[in-house]
Amino acid sequence: MIFLAAGLLWLPGWISITGQQNPSGYDSYLKPAEINTKLQDLNRRYSADTRLVKLAVSPGGSTLNILEISKGGKKNPAVLVVANMEGSYPLASMGALYLADLVLSQPETYNDLNWYILPCGNPDGAERYFSRPLYMDGRNQLPHNEDLDDQTDEDGYNDLNGDGFITQMRVKDPGGEWVVSEADPRIMRRADPSKGETGVYKMYSEGIDDDGDGSYNEDPPGGVDVSINFPHLFRPFSKTGGLWPGSTEETYQLMKYAYGHPEIAMTFAFGSSDFCISPPGSGRRGSADFDKIKIPERIAARFGADPDRTYTMKEIMEMVQPMLPQGMEVTESMISSFLGLGAMVNPMDADLAFYKELSDKYKAHLKDKKFTDERLNAEPDRDGSFELWAYYHLGLPSFTMNLFTLPKVKEEKKESPDITPEKIGAMSNEEFVALGQEKLDAFLKETGAPSQYNGAMMITMIESGRITPKQMEAMLKQLPPKKEPGELDPKSRAFLAFNDKELDGKGFVNWESYKHPALGEVEIGGTVPFAENTPPAQMIDSLLKIQVPYVTELAKNLPRLSILEAKTKELGGGVVRLEVWIRNENLLPFPTAMGERNQQPGPAILLVEGKDLEFLDGLPRTPVNKVGGKQNHKSEWLIRTDKPSEITIRLTSPNAWGDVKTVKTGS
Amino acid sequence: MKTKTYILALFVPLWQFVAAQEITVPLRFDRYYDYAELVTAMKTLNRAYPQLTRLDMVGHSEEGREIWAMTVNNPKTGKELDKPGVYVDGNIHGNEIQAGEVCLYFLDYMLKNHGGNTKITAMVDKNAYYVIPVVNVDGRFHFFNSPNNPSTNRGLRIPRDDDRDGLFDEDFPDDLDGDGNICMMRKKDPFGNFRTDPLDPRLMIPVKPGEKGEWTLLGQEGIDNDGDGRINEDSEGYVDPNRNWGYNWAPDYVQRGSGNYPLEGVGLKAIAEYIMARPNIILAYAFHNNGGMFLRGPGTKDQGDFPPADIAVFDYLGKNAEKIVPGYRYLLSWKDLYSTYGDFGDFMDNIAGAYSFIGELYRTEDETFRSPDAEKKPEEDGFFMENVSRTKERLDFNDHVVHGELYKEWKPFNHPVYGEIEIGGWVKMSSRLPHPFMLPDLVHRNAAAVMFSCDQTPEIKMEVTEKTAVGKDLYRVRVRLHNSKAIPSLTYHAVQKGIHRQDILKVSGKNLRVVSGGKLIDPYFGKVQYKEHKPELQLLQVPGFGKVEFQFIVSGKGEMNLEYNSLKAGTKQLAVALK
Repeated sequence: MIFLAAGLLWLPGWISITGQQNPSGYDSYLKPAEINTKLQDLNRRYSADTRLVKLAVSPGGSTLNILEISKGGKKNPAVLVVANMEGSYPLASMGALYLADLVLSQPETYNDLNWYILPCGNPDGAERYFSRPLYMDGRNQLPHNEDLDDQTDEDGYNDLNGDGFITQMRVKDPGGEWVVSEADPRIMRRADPSKGETGVYKMYSEGIDDDGDGSYNEDPPGGVDVSINFPHLFRPFSKTGGLWPGSTEETYQLMKYAYGHPEIAMTFAFGSSDFCISPPGSGRRGSADFDKIKIPERIAARFGADPDRTYTMKEIMEMVQPMLPQGMEVTESMISSFLGLGAMVNPMDADLAFYKELSDKYKAHLKDKKFTDERLNAEPDRDGSFELWAYYHLGLPSFTMNLFTLPKVKEEKKESPDITPEKIGAMSNEEFVALGQEKLDAFLKETGAPSQYNGAMMITMIESGRITPKQMEAMLKQLPPKKEPGELDPKSRAFLAFNDKELDGKGFVNWESYKHPALGEVEIGGTVPFAENTPPAQMIDSLLKIQVPYVTELAKNLPRLSILEAKTKELGGGVVRLEVWIRNENLLPFPTAMGERNQQPGPAILLVEGKDLEFLDGLPRTPVNKVGGKQNHKSEWLIRTDKPSEITIRLTSPNAWGDVKTVKTGS
Repeated sequence: MKTKTYILALFVPLWQFVAAQEITVPLRFDRYYDYAELVTAMKTLNRAYPQLTRLDMVGHSEEGREIWAMTVNNPKTGKELDKPGVYVDGNIHGNEIQAGEVCLYFLDYMLKNHGGNTKITAMVDKNAYYVIPVVNVDGRFHFFNSPNNPSTNRGLRIPRDDDRDGLFDEDFPDDLDGDGNICMMRKKDPFGNFRTDPLDPRLMIPVKPGEKGEWTLLGQEGIDNDGDGRINEDSEGYVDPNRNWGYNWAPDYVQRGSGNYPLEGVGLKAIAEYIMARPNIILAYAFHNNGGMFLRGPGTKDQGDFPPADIAVFDYLGKNAEKIVPGYRYLLSWKDLYSTYGDFGDFMDNIAGAYSFIGELYRTEDETFRSPDAEKKPEEDGFFMENVSRTKERLDFNDHVVHGELYKEWKPFNHPVYGEIEIGGWVKMSSRLPHPFMLPDLVHRNAAAVMFSCDQTPEIKMEVTEKTAVGKDLYRVRVRLHNSKAIPSLTYHAVQKGIHRQDILKVSGKNLRVVSGGKLIDPYFGKVQYKEHKPELQLLQVPGFGKVEFQFIVSGKGEMNLEYNSLKAGTKQLAVALK
């Protein structure tokens, strides 16, 4: 074992957790079974306020448990917290456990708010961190024939050098595409033929060709990556994402659970992405724009529409209504499906506003805790992920937190450039065009954009309306960061610095030669699996203590509806006008703009109750579909009542609280 | 208040009472079977043909009803999974009941003719058949047992808040006159937008500017059950079981009726698992009503079309189906009909690796009352509505061919909100369903269309076409796999997208070693696409009406075993002596 000292820190401490535990005792990574033990322990300890719900059983036979925290078992609005759907983020599970502990130790955090916490959403994947040899693959244990041959799961990794880790193999090969980096001999980079470089090495993951088909480690045990098995932007025909969204029980049962609990007002995921810092990604192509809909020619003819122009959704609805049989009402989704407009793929602008505001709050929170080291960005959200699904399908505010990314290596400050992607994003079309080709060309050169990008092209794209400056920003941000020749990419640089400083060099296996049965002389080495995303166990406690409490702060922003004012005005003859103002006290809107679009969280309901009320205008049961963050909403009724009476106004909502007020009439 | 009392005697057609008769084989098809009878019919078939059939309870519906599948397989000709699998289902939409009868007829016809008719015997013997006559068992149950119109009770019994008032499924249509049908309501109204059609007093036509109105149409029969000022706006679901499958599924705001997530329907989920456990399925037919169509996927344009070689297979089967069922059209789903996300056909094509057709049964055009000398056919129907002259012809059909069974004459009714109104119009068993006198023809022709395709499932022959000694203990062996039918051994789409593994050809032998091997591209010049690794194991597809050939260079001597193994086209073994 090469990896002794630091290795011990990383290995889970199998410390039995019994008795009073306070959230500061987090000093080891827990196996899925131990996580369940810990949940059972919390459940026992707080039996009046918690319930342990068995959500599903993974293909590998592990139980997924949700700890439901609710004051005396009441059905209050709830936050659904999941963790480590990826299977390869052990720290995420610790974060969720810590949160459960924290919430239970602070009764005010669940006084009228429920917490449904799933600390280990993918136990099969999570188990892998605790097995040897160590390799990073968060997929569950559903057998899967990745290479579509005659056998299943027959060519996994092999720990050839016996160090307990699956790292890389490099072998000199005339067809190699890799060279050793000039900046650090540990790092490999791709040769750049356009600069006359010749590749020297071929790279493989550590192992042999178990099934003799010429490929290495192409069919390891493992089936579905649970974290990309959700329906939003699900990718069919992928090797890892599962056959269809929800094809594996972990995902299917979680979706069923979420829809079965309409009180859920927000979701929170500990894992790879971080919506607390930056919102769900924009700039995906193909979002349906309901203001600019083209009607295909074959349909346009029958609609009497012009296939060459665009229509708004409202115009099309008006066009179609007279064509429908009597009594049938045209709806947005009817049109949308008829014309095949497809799903939303970018967050709604109105929602980006609250993401921005809450991101500022989070940064202030971190500053407050003196957690100000610059860190690498978290992973971008992935198609098919839980967090995108929660936003786009449940229509809820969906937040995520990546509890550990590598600290950035400090750079010498450069002069702040005239143009940045952010500045472009804030520009109007005209401002952008006014920058001119020359400036844009210079900017693109500075950012190291590929040569097919040039100023003239960008201007045309904006002028033609094919793309907005905001989308341009997102596009530019997706470009690989610029590197000086011989310079390491920021991630490698950050990792090597972290490895040297915090891991005592044990996060990297130095290249050493090995006699490979098929490839001959190779060298084995590279980053130790998990070294980049899973810090040593002694760091867990401090990382969680700083970041996790923000989740309870975040929950204070949930939309909370109350009756601000209810008053009546006598109009004579026993007729009164009832006016009710509802207020959303908090920052988050009810519902999100996305929720409004997809009609997903149910409406709040206003019930007007009283003896012998005759409703001249308005109904005793009135849905309230939207109250923006910190906004008020008015509803009115015209009611006739013969004698003086009391009117009770009851505001109910499963996920935004509610209120009751009484007014008198006919005094 | 929901009317729960049915005044049956008044209007229920006589043929609904046939139910009381005992169900025996061969089954009768001049009648419709309700859910319970249909299950009994399946059990009767199973009892009559125990060697050839098996019944599986696939799962339960939302309301706990059993979903049954019948397997037809002749064990004497091989095991199920060693034969091409044919999947047939129907009635995924609860109201589309004749689809169940087509499935039942398909079973009954195969079974009663097996051992007699040689073509049918061969067809039964070559495939394994998986038939689920009723997918939406709750829907079929409620369609028969509750008041409906021809289009209601289509969805799953998953409560949804259609009108977004916080209440679920609280305002169904109501059978106000207790006749078992949900008909239409109209009210005399001088300010109404309709007047009586001079052609037929039962019909109404829109008033033109300046004309005097006579009627206001009030929609489907019902009352405002939840007091929200709207009528019949929140009935069952609505989750459309044919939009809830896992491939290319899209949420409800993109397409109404998708359900909250793929396979939310518990019965559908059970059926999906049933299908995935039968990787031999290569052909699927799912029956619906109506319109007279055989649809193929994809369901949406953005998926792009299938590989041309697959389209050729679809065309071959589809264009022959058109000929078998007069008036039916073979069409491309998204293009010729409309876009559908998450439909069953896409699931079968893209997840199960099958060729699937959706059969839309019945054409109301076949309800005719027309002189052979008539100069022209009535005008075509509108995009969403039937043409008035067509409606008139259908009324004549109702009056003179089926003697008033399909249309309810307008009768006065005192409505709690609208006051004096009239109720009348097409009854439940009309419009989308053939009258029972037309049912035998419909079930036979459509089953025959399926049988044409069943005959075209892959039939693979393996032969050694050459065995030449090319050196000491070194042989060149050429092997040909030939498919005499239209459907290839797996779809081109499956190959392209890696939906499942390809067929395997494996060479083995005690004292043999395959030195090289690969696909023989040109037998004359001996061009071979050599496989670098593991030449003894070749991955392949056998095209429809075609062949694929391999060449192996084998060293050693003795018996050379060739084993062909396909998920969907069975297995073949062959041995040649190398000496």
